[in-house]
Amino acid sequence: MKRIPVSRCASQLLAQPLPRRPSCPYATAKTTRRSITPHNHRIQARFQSTAAIQHDGELEVELPEAAGIASTPSSRSASRGPRAAYLKPLPLEQLPSPHPSAAERSTKLHALRSRLSLPPRFPLQALARTLVHPSADPNPAFNNASLSILGRHLLGYYTSEWLLCNYPRLPMPVVFAAVEAYIGPKALATVAGEWGIEAAAEPGGEVDSGLLQFKRLKSGDELPAALRRQAPWKWNVTTTHKIMTTDEFGSSNAPPSPHALQKTPVPMEEAAQSFVRALIGALHVHLGSPLVKRFFRDHFLSRHLDISTLFDFRTPTRDLSRLCAREGFEGPVARLVSETGRLSRHPVFVVGVYSGKDKLGEGAGSSLDEARTRAAAAALKAWYLYKPVEVTVPSSMEGELDTSKWRPNLIDCGEVIV
Amino acid sequence: MPLSAIKTVAKAQNGVGAFVLQCKRLDFHYCNWWGSSHGMNTFIKSSLPSFAKRNPQVEFSVSPRPRKHPVIIAHYINGTQRSICVKNLQNEGVREKAELLRDSNGEKNRKIGKPVASINESVRGIWDPFHGAKINI
Repeated sequence: MKRIPVSRCASQLLAQPLPRRPSCPYATAKTTRRSITPHNHRIQARFQSTAAIQHDGELEVELPEAAGIASTPSSRSASRGPRAAYLKPLPLEQLPSPHPSAAERSTKLHALRSRLSLPPRFPLQALARTLVHPSADPNPAFNNASLSILGRHLLGYYTSEWLLCNYPRLPMPVVFAAVEAYIGPKALATVAGEWGIEAAAEPGGEVDSGLLQFKRLKSGDELPAALRRQAPWKWNVTTTHKIMTTDEFGSSNAPPSPHALQKTPVPMEEAAQSFVRALIGALHVHLGSPLVKRFFRDHFLSRHLDISTLFDFRTPTRDLSRLCAREGFEGPVARLVSETGRLSRHPVFVVGVYSGKDKLGEGAGSSLDEARTRAAAAALKAWYLYKPVEVTVPSSMEGELDTSKWRPNLIDCGEVIV
Repeated sequence: MPLSAIKTVAKAQNGVGAFVLQCKRLDFHYCNWWGSSHGMNTFIKSSLPSFAKRNPQVEFSVSPRPRKHPVIIAHYINGTQRSICVKNLQNEGVREKAELLRDSNGEKNRKIGKPVASINESVRGIWDPFHGAKINI
């Protein structure tokens, strides 16, 4: 069995461990092999190589020897001298989630790792841990809660910096909607489905580690209180407040913390999105940020989203005249470019919006007013969807010594305020 | 608010960034007794290990199915499954069928009419009678 020392880079992932509850037995076992300390029964039963809690020095654990151990749990403590007496093996059915040593033998996990083109040095135990939702296993050392928090922040960071650098003039509601289209809960659940993730009917230690482990919400049951719509962050929600204090989607109420969902039945979508986030977090911990950025570009930014379809203007003509006044252009004037069938049942008017001699936008409609509104919306979209030719996102300079490739990004003063 | 946004989900374009093989699992069923399984049994013994090594994205399972013709069943990411009966086929024929199942995407076979199908809008835009060269009739 492989031993992976991860506590070095992952100690920030989890909160302070409970006293006398060691959670990275492999790391501790590696350093201190020969001291004897009585410790928690549960940890004895399930050794884990991917848990990312701080190193505590005085722990001795017994490593499962090789493949085949977890299938015969009684053999786990059979041949290890005097300590074997008090190592009580648990039957697999009593474990809340699969034993980490079962990960190496899961064909589903091997297939999933290759399907996502992850390098073989990404440990399968880590991949197996990202598939365990807190509703299946409440122990934070064995579920994906902490990794999914890390992954959520990484995803939010990479998506929003990419959007803000590539479309510096996007209005904030559109930025939020675009972020949600890329990495929102629905999008992540779709991504998990497209990666071929299957859910276990019921979580447990005997289940294949390649299946998504979570406690299912029964059909017809009410959503648990943690997932239901709660009181908003604040009653008077402004755009500034959304930018500064809410999550990456600018949502009006706080999402439930993954740690709060222990033992709660959750819908499949919730578990699937926590898996995708946790996978990003685990990749960051085990493989480093350059690979996460490449993975993010390949799997998320490559998705198709037409941002121009996200706009929903209420009064585009008024917005456009305010924009022209702000930018010092001449006031917009709508002029009829061409028309056909004015007296018929289906007339078409083509109207252009002009500022002085420059045409800002053009739209066609079946009435003059409709065409004018469409033209103003086209002009506004042309302004808001400006895209600089050469863009370097801030995260591309992380850890770089040579910063000569950095190009400062355009920062716009923002959308029109009416 | 002068402007609100419409919520949607970005569409996947498999192969644009990352490529995810759509076949996720191949089941090989054989019979030790019937002669129709002869080629399948040879395939399982000789070629299947290397075939599985070449396709690590796919989960392979081999199981006996006594007194039945040999069959390959493929499971796809979109939830469908396709099966091909490989009775009386030789080793090569079975391998070809396995590759066919591996390479298909789980959708029903249908005729592709247009040479190009794209979700990107055309660079030229929709034809418009009011623009372009003025044609006098």
